[in-house]
Amino acid sequence: MRTFKDSNPIAVTLYFLFVTGITMFLFDPILNGISFLGALIFSLVCGDGRDNKKHLLCLVLFVATALINPLVSHNGVTVLFFINDNPITLESLLYGCSNAFMLVSVLYWFSCFSCLMDSDKLLYVFGSFSPKAALVFSMALRYIPLFGDRSKKIRATQKTMGLYKDGNILDMIRGRVREFSIMTTWALEKGIITADSMSARGYGQGRRTRFTNFRFYLCDVILLILSSVLAVFVIMSAVKHDFVFYPAIVAPKMSLISVIGYVSYGVLVLIPTINEWKEEIRWRYLRSKI
Amino acid sequence: MIVINNSGLRRVLRITVPFVIIPLTVFLGTFIVPQKSYLFVSFAVTVMALILFISGFDRKKTGSRRLVISSVMTALCIIGRFIPVFKPITALTVITGIHIGGESGFLVGALAALISNFFSGQGPWTPFQMLAWGLIGLFAGLLSPFLKRSRWIIVAYGTVTGMIFSLIMDVWTVLWGGGFSAELYLAAVVAAIPHTVVYSLSNMIFLIILSKPFGEKLERIKLKYGV
Repeated sequence: MRTFKDSNPIAVTLYFLFVTGITMFLFDPILNGISFLGALIFSLVCGDGRDNKKHLLCLVLFVATALINPLVSHNGVTVLFFINDNPITLESLLYGCSNAFMLVSVLYWFSCFSCLMDSDKLLYVFGSFSPKAALVFSMALRYIPLFGDRSKKIRATQKTMGLYKDGNILDMIRGRVREFSIMTTWALEKGIITADSMSARGYGQGRRTRFTNFRFYLCDVILLILSSVLAVFVIMSAVKHDFVFYPAIVAPKMSLISVIGYVSYGVLVLIPTINEWKEEIRWRYLRSKI
Repeated sequence: MIVINNSGLRRVLRITVPFVIIPLTVFLGTFIVPQKSYLFVSFAVTVMALILFISGFDRKKTGSRRLVISSVMTALCIIGRFIPVFKPITALTVITGIHIGGESGFLVGALAALISNFFSGQGPWTPFQMLAWGLIGLFAGLLSPFLKRSRWIIVAYGTVTGMIFSLIMDVWTVLWGGGFSAELYLAAVVAAIPHTVVYSLSNMIFLIILSKPFGEKLERIKLKYGV
């Protein structure tokens, strides 16, 4: 099996849909906790784990979400203390915590996803249901740096023509507006030429091909089947029992089915991490020891 | 292309998704599954609607010129998002919808939301933003004969849709917090007031400034090259 990063983008996208969908769909604190742990470990493994700003943001969001619920909702029977005659209950605090876990773990999964997928892969997934939107997407991506360069050229020309005064804010704003207007006209006119050139080279005749060819290898099929089977297990077991917060917390009894559900979600969540570790070990093992 | 190659299958999907699968998701999510899953239902329905809209456009024949103009407008929207505080995405989407057509308006709005979130943070809110901005562009295109009458009608349209956009995104924020309640929604709306005001103001300002020159530019291109 290849690393998760090199797997077929459609398989990877479906995997992420399963994992985040289960976290959002099945409101179960244990599943949320498993999902959070898996997302945290994977984000540490897949490379953007040292982004302290992201961790801080997630922490702030977690605390905010966990605290807002008990302040607003006063359901529940176990009163902890009073603020301005409003009861703060244990149940609503735990409910808030569970929600916060869900929010933060989905955020972590999304950041892992955008770390794994570059624009080329996204284009592949996107193009599989709409080649036209995919084309507009890729052209817009290319235009962003191009427009930056062009506006620099325009500014240089305008400066040479002596159209700017130094230190005059109003003049600067007027200059920027003029620049933007010139750039837009230029981009639209050039765009027409691009379009004509595309039609001349046969755009819209027959199937479109891609620069990068992603194929479905055996391991991608395995990933796809494994993740969908595990997801079905989790959903089947989670629908059977219900975690009740209000008025008092009633945890469902642990049965064989629920344990199977949790274990399969744990495996599902750890698939990319295990894969990454396995590749790492193999790399160490195969490295020449001269 | 690899997913739906068969035209018969595509036709089946086009009929079953809006009339069977989306209602079924809503039904299952609200009545059958015991847990609160409004969040998932709204997420799933949004993603399906997006796929439906975008693949529906793929059927129609669009000239390559129109596609290129759409991508130019998308890129301009994204560059505009780097302006601090004031964002012109809605304004440019509305202008595109009016002058180039609703289909291009939808594409520009949805793709601008998708791409600009690469820079400002991708998240579960992306599909909601894509659908919301896309619909603003689509309706601008459908209403274009009416909107073209006066600049002030366009400004009013942009401001009102911008406000609706903010209110709908607040619903979504509350759903994130778990469950929906009127108190929480009110709290979210009040907390978001500064944001909503800045957003509506920027829509208004950008539409006042941009609608005329951009309209002229686009109309000129249309006249000159017969798009």
